[in-house]
Amino acid sequence: MEYILHIFVITGIYIILSLSLNLIVGYTGLPALGHAAFMCIGAYTSSLLTLNFGFSPWVGLIIGALFATISGVIIGFPSLRLKGDYLALATFGLGVIVYSVARNWVVVTRGPMGLPGIPRFSIISYQLSETWVYLLLVTGFVLITFFVIKRIVNSPFGRISLSIREDEIAAEAMGKDTKRHKLIVFMVGAIFAGIAGSLYANYITFIDPSSFTVMESITILLMVIFGGMGSIPGSFVGATILVVFPELLRFLGMPSSIAAPTRQMIYGLLLVILMIRRPQGIMGKYRFK
Amino acid sequence: MINQLVLNGIIAGSIYALIAIGFTVIYRTVKFFHFAHGVVYTAGAYLAYTIVNSLSVNVQSPMVISYWFLAVLVGVVGAGVLGIGIDKFLYHPLRERKASNLIFLLASFGVFIFIQNLIQLIYGAQILTIRTGPVKEGHLFLGAVITDIQIIILVTSCLLSVALFLFLKRTRFGKAMRAVSDDSIGASVVGISPEKTITISFAVGSALAGIAGILISLETNIEPTMGFNAILKGIIASIIGGIGSIPGAFAGGFFLGIAENLGIWKISGGWKDAIAFLILIIFLLFRPQGIMGRREE
Repeated sequence: MEYILHIFVITGIYIILSLSLNLIVGYTGLPALGHAAFMCIGAYTSSLLTLNFGFSPWVGLIIGALFATISGVIIGFPSLRLKGDYLALATFGLGVIVYSVARNWVVVTRGPMGLPGIPRFSIISYQLSETWVYLLLVTGFVLITFFVIKRIVNSPFGRISLSIREDEIAAEAMGKDTKRHKLIVFMVGAIFAGIAGSLYANYITFIDPSSFTVMESITILLMVIFGGMGSIPGSFVGATILVVFPELLRFLGMPSSIAAPTRQMIYGLLLVILMIRRPQGIMGKYRFK
Repeated sequence: MINQLVLNGIIAGSIYALIAIGFTVIYRTVKFFHFAHGVVYTAGAYLAYTIVNSLSVNVQSPMVISYWFLAVLVGVVGAGVLGIGIDKFLYHPLRERKASNLIFLLASFGVFIFIQNLIQLIYGAQILTIRTGPVKEGHLFLGAVITDIQIIILVTSCLLSVALFLFLKRTRFGKAMRAVSDDSIGASVVGISPEKTITISFAVGSALAGIAGILISLETNIEPTMGFNAILKGIIASIIGGIGSIPGAFAGGFFLGIAENLGIWKISGGWKDAIAFLILIIFLLFRPQGIMGRREE
């Protein structure tokens, strides 16, 4: 039971990540391959603040999301001038750089040794140490993300996103400041990724750089594409299937030295099949141009 | 110290240049980022390892040269076949559908992840070593130490680059490749088969990746994830050299190798990747056409 709740918590965190990436990739059509970097910044900021400066994890979460947003601006500002596969490569590179900083800035992040003993959230003096309570918290954040993203994509702002996705020059010709718009989309995505990072760090109570590799970014992107580009229910479906399905390998009695590469192989194969057969995903409306 | 760093950079650069040139040969005909090129490099190294290991080569025996010849042959041909296979089974159907560059790139990521983990499943995640005989002391050269194997790497890389450059400049195939690269429909009108040209460029490019993989396996250990960094560096080298240009890829490879090794002069070696990407982003923003490329819209 505890195990099933644990899977639900992890699924919830990935839903937040997929929804926020879907806004960037599926709705605005920007191929961002570095989403784990924002998650990493959120996770490390909140963990370091709570561990070293005794901040409450709630404050850590907020400042972590803030830092992720700021990094979204720093990353987005130069790279959003690029288009298509060059933008993909640049965001990918920024993912590598953030990972590299987490791994090599040993004085602050303790490098590959990671940060153990991150305290969990507490309400007044009640610590959310039980998994089901944490699941409620994560569900709350999933709902917030869902409503915010839904509100955004159904607003005039969201329609600008769609117009940039379909034809950026036309959007510009209509007098829309597409550069500014793309930057805001990037920032919104980064906020939620930062929150997801904090939630993850406080739940597992341990983080190290290996949780935020570029492979992680590709996995989140795979969730978005698999579920459906530009589809909110799609992100729920994609994240859920891709978190739950590999767990089934565990029940086949595979040792982890076989299960880990097998899981990755399934992801790789899935990505290939999707690209050949259905690049817009199960419920998607958009394929990369 | 600085001489040694430059030398290390040149050796790393020779490998990057080989990968970048192989990547460029393919890029010129297909015009998308063939990320799976990195796993072809890994496969080349593992194939050579398998031959050397299964024949349990005695390094003292006079037969060792022929074993090595076999290992290199299998590694290079295997890499070439793998490259052609990826093109036939993955990129060909995508071309038929006129998929966008990003779809090619993501599919390429997929096949990269798949094959890399297949290799990990077969050989395990640990590092492996090809025995090349007793460790010899390096030669002292301009205040830096260079080993025999490093000399082999440097010379092979330069010779192959020049040979390939001349091959593409002087032969009919080279001409066909440039024609397909400029205008594949126009090329097919005058009787050049774009599909055939693409197949050959995958064969040549992938064979180069195989050679790079074998060379690096003589110098350091091999592990299943080695292709990831290799292709990142290869792509970065191609872009900073000027995408689509063979001399550019060559220059970009050495430039990147030297720059990232000088970059870690005062800091730890773990920062190399970050430095490489920083160089890439600077180039993408300020000189997207690269060192030798022409600007095209």
